Amino acid sequence: MSVISITRPTNVYDDEPSDIEMSDVEESGELKKESAGESIVTPGELVTDDPVWMKGHGTYFLHDQTYSSVAGSVSRVNRLLSVIPLRGRYQAETGDHVVGRITEVGPKRWKVDIGCKQDAVLMLGSVNLPGGVLRRKSESDELQMRNFLKEGDLLNAEVQSIFSNGSASLHTRSLKYGKLRNGIFLKVPSSLVVKSKNHSYNLPGNVSVIVGVNGYVWLSKSKQGASSTTSATTNKAQAAFDSSSSGYNPGQGSVSITRLEEESSWEIYSDKNESISNSVRHTITRYYNVIKALAFGELGITEQRIIMGYEASLAYEDVGSLIDKEAMESICQDVINSEKMRG
Amino acid sequence: MELYSPEGLRIDGRRWNELRKFECRINTHPNSSDGSSFIEQGNTKVICMVQGPMEPVLRSQSNPNQANIEISITIANFSTTERKKRLKNEKRLVELKATLERTFEQSVMCKLYPRTVIQVNIHVLAQDGGLLAGITNAITLGLIDAGIAMYDYVSSISAGLYDTTPLLDLNTLEENDMSTLTIGVIGKSEKLALLLLEDKMPLDRLESVLAIGIAGGHRIRDLMDEEVRRHGNLRLSKVNV
Repeated sequence: MSVISITRPTNVYDDEPSDIEMSDVEESGELKKESAGESIVTPGELVTDDPVWMKGHGTYFLHDQTYSSVAGSVSRVNRLLSVIPLRGRYQAETGDHVVGRITEVGPKRWKVDIGCKQDAVLMLGSVNLPGGVLRRKSESDELQMRNFLKEGDLLNAEVQSIFSNGSASLHTRSLKYGKLRNGIFLKVPSSLVVKSKNHSYNLPGNVSVIVGVNGYVWLSKSKQGASSTTSATTNKAQAAFDSSSSGYNPGQGSVSITRLEEESSWEIYSDKNESISNSVRHTITRYYNVIKALAFGELGITEQRIIMGYEASLAYEDVGSLIDKEAMESICQDVINSEKMRG
Repeated sequence: MELYSPEGLRIDGRRWNELRKFECRINTHPNSSDGSSFIEQGNTKVICMVQGPMEPVLRSQSNPNQANIEISITIANFSTTERKKRLKNEKRLVELKATLERTFEQSVMCKLYPRTVIQVNIHVLAQDGGLLAGITNAITLGLIDAGIAMYDYVSSISAGLYDTTPLLDLNTLEENDMSTLTIGVIGKSEKLALLLLEDKMPLDRLESVLAIGIAGGHRIRDLMDEEVRRHGNLRLSKVNV
């Protein structure tokens, strides 16, 4: 039965309208295999009728044919066929460096919002507690969990594993992870964060940034001597030595290494901010707006781009004016231009 | 007032098998929601915003086996010709919500998102017939934008019977004077995810009404698909720069 419909005339899209596919479904199945690298598929669309492909995320299998279940681009890895959605929530993967916020304190665990479909779990056993890295967790630790981390606290952590139901388990068993202080929180779309070896950077102007893979960003004042403690390669003994040397106070006399470690560990969970000078506060705000501008322009966020954006933003005297639409656009344009210059 | 003239024209000048102007936009509110859409079906205008899948606020909302879909509908006071205050728990709205939740629990792959909730917020800005159809189409687009896995599009359209002639896509004037059937078609198939008939219709005429409804649903699906592809290609081109 025919239907009359009148629509506004539109310019022809590069992806030809779907009317054609309707008439020759048999052929389009074959055709798509070649062209699917660039074009997108929509829910219910036949991706392939070849049963050799394994069915990955974003697909479903019905009557020996594989259909797409989301709108996105087809990805083929060896024999695995999956459809990557255009948008969607962050999906945690083992090893991701993420920033999160505590939402709940439960029995032997914290629930952490990391922008995932479900809240992640941080077990009491997978955090560093005061009094030695490798000590057993006692009942008293369980009772004072709120003294370490309470609802609303921000922390950075690594995804340890993914449970079968899709929720993530985190750990903070390294000196670079733990509670966050002395800074400001910012959220960008997780699709914009480019995965790399390292996600915490020291930026010019005495500011550090942690760009979580989940799109949660933490901008803070750099720690004194942070360059040595944050590097991932230092072994445990080295790390302990570093923390003891930074926490060393002349005049207090010599204290044993373990005692110092304990003190510095308690310091990890402190809620007090250090004093932050006005100029550092300004720089942090400037970086905040630069990252916001990059997200506005839908540019991937990398250390290089943040620094280039920061340099471009120096043309604006007033930090507050950076959130104007024109300013954001011009910063993005500057970043793209200077990237082209470097090649 | 003549709803269907002997020459075959309806009150707004359409033929019996003619759709009203259908416009849709996807990803209209990228910062405030995971997925969003806006549709215009004639003068009916609906905004849809989808949040989730996300951790439920209350424990009672979480189901260990599948996602919970929660739909809330707000109908603006100014959406009809006379201004009217509407209560949130009006009986009609509660029923509409239940119908929609049942429809989408079948079409969305809820099993993939256990212990989560998918919150769908609907705002009806203007209504001119085909309210349920418009809301269904808006939710379909919103869910696609949010990247939530679905078996296929659910495209919905209303159809009525005037004397012996089936009419497609009724407006308010027509809806008030004849029995209306709203259907939700799954993709390009002839399967229905939604079927709502609030008054009587002769059984021997039902088939012809259903047939024009399904054909109309397929057309709506194509129009929505076009918009999803347009938006998708736009996004891809931005990523590949």
